[in-house]
Amino acid sequence: MNSGAGTYFDGVTSARRDVVVELTTGGLQVSDRDGHLWAQWPYEEIEGLTAPDNMLRLGRRGSATLERLEIRDPAFAAEIDARSAHVDRTGALQRSQRMRVIGWSIGATASLLLVAWFGVPAIATRLTPLLPVTFESVLGDAVNAQVRGMLDIRKAGAAFDCGIAAAEIPGRIALDKLVRRLEAVAALPLHLRTNVVRRSEANALALPGGQVYVFQGLIAKADNADEVAGVIAHEIGHVAHRDGTKAVLEGGGLSFLFGMLLGDFVGGGAVVLAAKTVLQSTYTREAESAADAYGTELMNKAGGDARALASMLEKTGGATEPGMKILMDHPDTKARVVAINKSAAAVSPSPFLEAGEWAALKKICAGS
Amino acid sequence: MLFVTLGIYRFWLVTDVRRFLWSNTEIAGETLEYTGTALELLLGFLVAISLLIPVYGGIFLAALDLGILGKLSGIIAFAALGLLGQYAIYRARRYRLTRTIYRGLRFHQQGSAWGYAFRAMLWWVITALTFGLAYPFQVASLERYKMRNTFYGDLGGSFEGSGFALLLRGIPMWFLVFAPLVFAVRGFVAVDWKALVDALAQGGDDVMSRIEGGNPGLGAAIVFAMLMAGASVTLAALLYPAFQAVMLRWWSSGLRFGDVEVRSSLHMRHVYAAYARFVGYAILFSIVMGFVGAFLFGVVGVAANLGKVDSAGEIAATLALLVGYVVTALGFSTIYRATVLLSLWQLGMESLQLSGLAALEKVKARGRPASPLGEGLADALNVGSY
Ligand SMILES: [Zn+2]
Repeated sequence: MNSGAGTYFDGVTSARRDVVVELTTGGLQVSDRDGHLWAQWPYEEIEGLTAPDNMLRLGRRGSATLERLEIRDPAFAAEIDARSAHVDRTGALQRSQRMRVIGWSIGATASLLLVAWFGVPAIATRLTPLLPVTFESVLGDAVNAQVRGMLDIRKAGAAFDCGIAAAEIPGRIALDKLVRRLEAVAALPLHLRTNVVRRSEANALALPGGQVYVFQGLIAKADNADEVAGVIAHEIGHVAHRDGTKAVLEGGGLSFLFGMLLGDFVGGGAVVLAAKTVLQSTYTREAESAADAYGTELMNKAGGDARALASMLEKTGGATEPGMKILMDHPDTKARVVAINKSAAAVSPSPFLEAGEWAALKKICAGS
Repeated sequence: MLFVTLGIYRFWLVTDVRRFLWSNTEIAGETLEYTGTALELLLGFLVAISLLIPVYGGIFLAALDLGILGKLSGIIAFAALGLLGQYAIYRARRYRLTRTIYRGLRFHQQGSAWGYAFRAMLWWVITALTFGLAYPFQVASLERYKMRNTFYGDLGGSFEGSGFALLLRGIPMWFLVFAPLVFAVRGFVAVDWKALVDALAQGGDDVMSRIEGGNPGLGAAIVFAMLMAGASVTLAALLYPAFQAVMLRWWSSGLRFGDVEVRSSLHMRHVYAAYARFVGYAILFSIVMGFVGAFLFGVVGVAANLGKVDSAGEIAATLALLVGYVVTALGFSTIYRATVLLSLWQLGMESLQLSGLAALEKVKARGRPASPLGEGLADALNVGSY
């Protein structure tokens, strides 16, 4: 079969032309009943285009216009297919391309997960020391506003912060004395702000920019001032290592990576998300041991009892920050306690607070 | 939802779907042809991301600001992304039109995308302020803008649908959805607001009991309001297919290309049938997923009892949850596409009657292919369609 019927559109006007298509040795010829020659396409320039199942639609590769030839006779369409390399009626070519695409998609997803798992933390770790302290303070203030909103779930009653009412002032003074002694040794590049807040958990929390929250529950559980100081020293470790900023960068990076690449855009909620990250405390095991080591060292330098941090850890089951649900018998906590006791200085420590001051600190949330 | 879970492959999928729909759309004996490619879409998406990174960074920095800028950052981000989304919708439409070929000629779209975006944002504000009553006029106005900038070759399009006609059709539905809400609000009017504010201002732990004491009817009013809100949501869900049928019929009957006129005779009961099929298949799918989930849960439970759950087991459980989520999301969206979207498109096409087709015979080629950036933006901003 060397000729057949077709429909031709010249790509310049919308006119529909019933034509006769002839298959010559080098290509096909399109002419109408009056013998007017409309097109001559070499076989290698013919391409198959998307069309309904009952039709073969052809175009010319590299043509300036969108000229089209439509063949409805399946036998004649098969003849053209056999002669042209770029006509793919069976879809075999497309299927093999498709498998490649699926392979690449899976590869891209895997690499995305790898970047999320290893790349984002690595970038955050390297980027954090480069950030100026002023940026960290600004970030800390923004996160602080959110964190306070999330932590402060009281409906009514006394203020969220302890140490404001008249009866609480002596406690505030005792806390300031304790923190000053630690801060003098720590020599941080930024100013530390420590507040006791009305939350019943025995936790503490460090934010980017040097804000430390000690929960009322921790003061209640502590048996002496050095235990409180030990936990605050641990938190100062997070501040010095800028773990909060790191966590914010990681959270932002992850939400950006997944949000943008997968076609879902989380914009204004970035800070809320960052605050949640800090709250849910995704601090890694390494960050915790590093903060422990820093806290122990700080307690040693300040002449305090570093073992107090270990005894506090045992009391809280290792959960220094909220959201950490590590059980008491968890090997991690035991290992941490052992490590702290090992590096605690043997010299006889001088207590952080006098008995009267400690009693005042115990009452820092006593109310007006 | 589908796009989120499919990652890079979504560009190929969307291109496949469009090729299928276009080449099965027949007008006057000739079918449409979609010439867009998945690689174009991928490229457009990558360019869109690189343009959005500064926007994203700016919004992030604005949110860090403690002053007035930080307080307003949520609104600013919402407005900026909304505007950008409308811009993307118009640009994406331009891309799709210039990849649509009919009888060897392409469609194209003129007009300013920013002009459209500002118009659309303004209309959304008006619609929100009028509780949706301005919506028919919004659609009519925006559709007029789109269609008078749409061309098949040198044959210009227009839109003749009237917002008032759509309002008349839609207002019974509007009343059905909003009436329960009005009743709910009326219930609150009876509340003694001064006593309530006083009780709140006093604060303290017994604030709730004092509120209840001052307003014996408040609890009943809250329960009534919740019931009414539930009724409103239920009615909205039940009326949604009818709303879609009205919209589709009104919209297609308003389309014009030169002398070519379109009439639609879409039946509402067919649209309801499509949704009924969706609900049926979705329930079936949920039951199957429920059984699979229960089985897996049992396995994990047994393993936990034997004390075999370690960190590797936790990771496996997390992965299983993730896979389960992806399968569920994909399943529902596939059912939705196969039942509702495909049926609506088919019903819409079959119910069309065209007149004045002679105008299609002497059209001349015009227009150039447009960049896929709009599609990429729409995808990244999650305002894309298929
Ligand atoms: Zn810690």
